[in-house]
Amino acid sequence: MQFGMLEIIDVIISGLTNGSVYALMALGLTLVYGVSKAFNFAYGSFYSLGGYVAWLLLGLHIGLGYGAVLLLAIPFLLVFGYASERLLVAPLRRRSDWEIKVMMITLGLALLLDNGYAVIFGPRVKSLPPILEGSFVMGDVILAYQDVGIFLLSIFGMIAFGWLLKNTRIGMAVQAVAQNPAGAQIVGIPRDVIFAATFAISTVMAGIGGILLAQKYFISPAGGWDVLVKAWVITAFGGMGSIRGSLYAAFIVGMLEAVVAFFLGFSWVLFALFGVLLLTLAVRPQGLMGKWG
Amino acid sequence: MLNVENLDAHYGEFHVLKNVSISVGRGKVVVMLGPNGHGKSTLLKCICGLVPSKNGQINFLGEDISRLSSERIVNMGITYIAENRELFPHMTVLENLKLGAYAKSARPHEKANLNMVFDLFPRLKQRQKQLASTMSGGEARMLAIARGLMSNAQFLAIDEPSLGLQPNLRLEVFSIIKQINTAGKTVIVVEQNIPQITDLADKIYLLEEGAITFEGAKQDALSNEHLKEIFLGM
Repeated sequence: MQFGMLEIIDVIISGLTNGSVYALMALGLTLVYGVSKAFNFAYGSFYSLGGYVAWLLLGLHIGLGYGAVLLLAIPFLLVFGYASERLLVAPLRRRSDWEIKVMMITLGLALLLDNGYAVIFGPRVKSLPPILEGSFVMGDVILAYQDVGIFLLSIFGMIAFGWLLKNTRIGMAVQAVAQNPAGAQIVGIPRDVIFAATFAISTVMAGIGGILLAQKYFISPAGGWDVLVKAWVITAFGGMGSIRGSLYAAFIVGMLEAVVAFFLGFSWVLFALFGVLLLTLAVRPQGLMGKWG
Repeated sequence: MLNVENLDAHYGEFHVLKNVSISVGRGKVVVMLGPNGHGKSTLLKCICGLVPSKNGQINFLGEDISRLSSERIVNMGITYIAENRELFPHMTVLENLKLGAYAKSARPHEKANLNMVFDLFPRLKQRQKQLASTMSGGEARMLAIARGLMSNAQFLAIDEPSLGLQPNLRLEVFSIIKQINTAGKTVIVVEQNIPQITDLADKIYLLEEGAITFEGAKQDALSNEHLKEIFLGM
């Protein structure tokens, strides 16, 4: 197969663009797991939820652009996530084996949502218009503004998230619960509220991931599973609960995916990702930067 | 200020606290002694809402707090200072202290309390930007107490503050407790039998096998043979 600079640049662009969205989403998953030790099986369905909400709003043809979509989708996703946690996840925490039960109930939620999408929106894939039209042309290199937009928005999302975590009272409270739940209880941080808020924030991140990537890769009722698997692979690869690990892992996975897709085709991507994950875990069970326990 | 009446507590099957009743007067220092594993920590944790209790009542300023959440209790002015410190390891001293003032009742007083705490613990002021995980045992213990003070609590439940500390640091901790009390805070301290803290006490309790076996002033303890053995021989 012939490839030259152009193809390499294409691969890099694709890897960076996807990697940045994956990073945003992995951050959300790591956050929830790191703070409340709950694994959200519905994370992929939340990704699709973002995509479908955007599709709905843009399809109304009342002049709403992506800016408005994000402004409307974010509060919606926040409330949806908060409510899901309070109603479905929180009550399970009192019980034994709650981690497994949370996985099961979020799995149930995922199936409910995915079937809901199929019923409401139909089984055919939907696509979203690109966030920015046009490309930047430099010689033979074409850089779509869409990719730049997606990349910048993801990075912005991550920076905003980091800022929230360090500069707001609730962000500090989230860090506190993650670092020492007993200490957080001692200083009077309401654990239940923090768990729900964290879940809500991660829902937003998944949904925004959907809004960003749906432009390139379509939304479908079952499309979230692919994303969930990738997000999980990234989190495990980077180390459960390690933010920096997740970020590195996300870009590595994004690049790997682009390279494998180019050389072997899309159907090889998941195989390759799992291969790398298994190899890594065999040598280093805590992932790149994870801490045991 | 605080009355515990007929309290029971269990860890699974194990009956830790048996019909325990104590009272702590406002502005007093109460010291709770007793062998390890006999329920002293559990009693403090029940008071602070960190561990569930059964039967009985815990009255604080006339209100029964035994069924309240730990957050509500912190907001009412009671703070627990753990034997394990339970600090936030990847945060600085300053961040730990600020989180100590998380409770709604503590927030308006955050700045004033921070100044108070830095006056009381000049070493913490020096090391404000240092990560909590890098602190020595003594410094961490001071930080835990300081963070507890940030909650603006009027009632402090301190669990074995001298544990693992060298004698000179122990004295420092006890001197801090005395200063806190002089400033008007009510304190209940779980401790080992160390003269410098028992001398400070307005009242001493002895908790053995989950039940109170002595209540009174230190002088009274010394005239009781069994207790004398405990106090002098432990």
